[in-house]
Amino acid sequence: MSKEKKQQAVQTTGHAWDGDLQEFNNPLPTWWLWAFYGTVIFAIVYWVLFPAWPVGKSYTKGVLNDITYTTPAGKQVTSHWNTRALYLEEMEKARAEHAAYMEQLQSASLAEIANNEELSAFAYSMAKVLFADDCAACHQAGANGVIGSYPNLLDDDWLWGGTYDQIHASIANGHNGFMPAFSKTLNSAQMDDVAEYVISLSGSDVNPQKAEIGSNIFNGETGGCYYCHDKGGVGRISQGAANLTDSIWTIADVPGQATLEGKKAVVKRVIANGVNRKMPAWKNRLNDTEVKILTFYVHELGGGN
Amino acid sequence: MANSTAQVEQYNYDIVRKFTIMALVWGVLGMTAGLYIGSELAWPLLNFDIPQITFGRLRPVHTTLVIFGFGGSALFATSYYIVQRTCQTRLFSDGMATFTFWGWQISVGVAAISYMMGYTQAREYAEMVWPIDILIAVTWVAYLVIYVMTLRKRSQPHIYVANWFFIAFILATAILHIFNNLAVPISLFSLTSYSLQAGVQDAMTQWWYGHNAVGFFLTAAFLGMMYYFVPKQAGRPVYSYRLSIIHFWALVFLYMWVGAHHLHWTALPDWTSTLAATFSILLLMPSWGGMINGIMTLSGAWDKLRTDPVIRFLIVALSFYGMSTFEGPLMSLKSVNALSHYTDWTIGHVHSGALGWVAMITFGSLYHLIPRLWETRMYSNKLIYLHFWLATIGIVIYISAMWVAGIGQGLMLRAFDQYGNLAYTFIETVNFLHEPYVARALGGLFFVLGIIVMTFNTFMTIRQGRREQALLEAKLAAKLAQA
Repeated sequence: MSKEKKQQAVQTTGHAWDGDLQEFNNPLPTWWLWAFYGTVIFAIVYWVLFPAWPVGKSYTKGVLNDITYTTPAGKQVTSHWNTRALYLEEMEKARAEHAAYMEQLQSASLAEIANNEELSAFAYSMAKVLFADDCAACHQAGANGVIGSYPNLLDDDWLWGGTYDQIHASIANGHNGFMPAFSKTLNSAQMDDVAEYVISLSGSDVNPQKAEIGSNIFNGETGGCYYCHDKGGVGRISQGAANLTDSIWTIADVPGQATLEGKKAVVKRVIANGVNRKMPAWKNRLNDTEVKILTFYVHELGGGN
Repeated sequence: MANSTAQVEQYNYDIVRKFTIMALVWGVLGMTAGLYIGSELAWPLLNFDIPQITFGRLRPVHTTLVIFGFGGSALFATSYYIVQRTCQTRLFSDGMATFTFWGWQISVGVAAISYMMGYTQAREYAEMVWPIDILIAVTWVAYLVIYVMTLRKRSQPHIYVANWFFIAFILATAILHIFNNLAVPISLFSLTSYSLQAGVQDAMTQWWYGHNAVGFFLTAAFLGMMYYFVPKQAGRPVYSYRLSIIHFWALVFLYMWVGAHHLHWTALPDWTSTLAATFSILLLMPSWGGMINGIMTLSGAWDKLRTDPVIRFLIVALSFYGMSTFEGPLMSLKSVNALSHYTDWTIGHVHSGALGWVAMITFGSLYHLIPRLWETRMYSNKLIYLHFWLATIGIVIYISAMWVAGIGQGLMLRAFDQYGNLAYTFIETVNFLHEPYVARALGGLFFVLGIIVMTFNTFMTIRQGRREQALLEAKLAAKLAQA
């Protein structure tokens, strides 16, 4: 016992706190010390290679002098390692990688793009990113839209037309989607009848008498709905007026209603309040090629005509 | 425990008891807030469109309650306990100690409420508006005065190593807090203020503060805790005095340089970035010095792992400390940071430090402390084991989920297709996060359940201590009456 105590007394620093708190005086572990020296060497190598220490109003630039990029003035510059130059170099490389395709896309027509397998694959890949950046905020990431607010681009129902030219015009120039509110023009019973008629167009089982009255309002001068939606509600692309006969709904959430009463109610609400939507024009925000490949992309999404 | 009555008079344990209880109160509240915001990320529905409980407002509530409420109160409690016992003297001033208690608790409580009401400075971990900053500064200076004056009137010739770490922590935190919060209020009656610095200098100041809050508040101070409770609980001397001196000075010197690694690939000059990255690498071994000293102190007492749940908390804490101080320098390298920054890898890293190191070393220390403060045994050893397993499993689930989420999202964000266009849209990366977020919430739930078990165990221990005390007094009174 006394021998053991003696050994311990040699090893500790000889102080004791709070009764039994003591410290051995073991040397630094060798592996620990060498690992620390290792990190010092690592740091010094890093400092030699990269910008590191401030000196006066400048700093040590590091010996890595391998970043080459072209300035906006067209001059080629090789610079020490720095994040700004690295960014410019990487962007330049990416543009070079795209250059051959971009040149072809600039002159190709949309039909030519569609018929060229490689070019269309490239256009699709690039437009996907553009769509995510610029269009997905409203039309959603999957382009399925939001019923009541933003049209679904996946189906083959097109308010403003689904040919290449029509889609291109929609993206380039934007749209004002407008339908007047009828709450002042028609009374509640009349709006009920029109709703009855509109629902019947896509095959719902409705009250035939009421639908008959509704049809007269819709297709006659009382409501005048046919000015835009055309006789029989088949829609008119030049007005962006919806086809009401195809069971595809953009504004009134008819598919979301369980009962016939519910379906009529949501249609009536649109008749009463009208529609006022806006899609911005993109021709001043995106360049011609970008609008072109977005057109191709949207056309591909859902049964373009 | 024979001389316990004398000890109560010799030392101010009342203040230690108060801070211990508040550490558990803030711990339960803060970790529950964390669980809730973690769940909000998995199921955004939980925001309920109520501004006060949205993620943006509850997140600083969570960080403030766990870092300053739970961690801060635990540090006050243990540092006041350690400084008195290792200096063999009573605290310099009971009145000032009570002032630090109320100053700190009011700061934490008012800060949490003010964030929910939408008042913030928008500086991470320093969100408190300027009047709270002033209260904290005054409280902290009082803490410094108490600590220094208590050390000066010690009846021991040498200052024990734990106290070096505490004094470094108190001093550095005072400097960090004051310089990072230099701001001009727009009027005396407004809570809004403008920072004294602007632009990249302001960001640099904020992260100089932010990382040293990690370095001095969450590392150095808890190392102080480790240096007392590990040798005490193991019943063995500290492994190496020399190592403790070397790693102490290396740690406090190197930490001050590394804050800028939070700002890689920004407007910060490249040379500043390089220095921050390399000093982070240099910090690895000094950080590990503390882990080695702790683990080597425990070695030789390995048999206690089977019988003493407190030792388990301490060894797991030291292991996580070693792991996260390895991960940190790795993430501070510019190339790794390009992948990890702005992803959940950072969140995972913080929590392997905060749950694995800070909370575990605190739990272990408090389990050592609580029976001594209330002069009894812990109410239930089984519940300590339960807490240990809940906490350990919770941490492992938590950080694994965050590695998957962070590295996964980081790789998705930089993935290109064969044409050099981005392979994924941002929303696709967000969709990917849902499952790891659910797993993270589960890990968090385990951890919260753990501290609830501990709080119950502590409550029962205190009740048991009071009963035993009353019984003892009754016996004494009976004896006196007989005599």
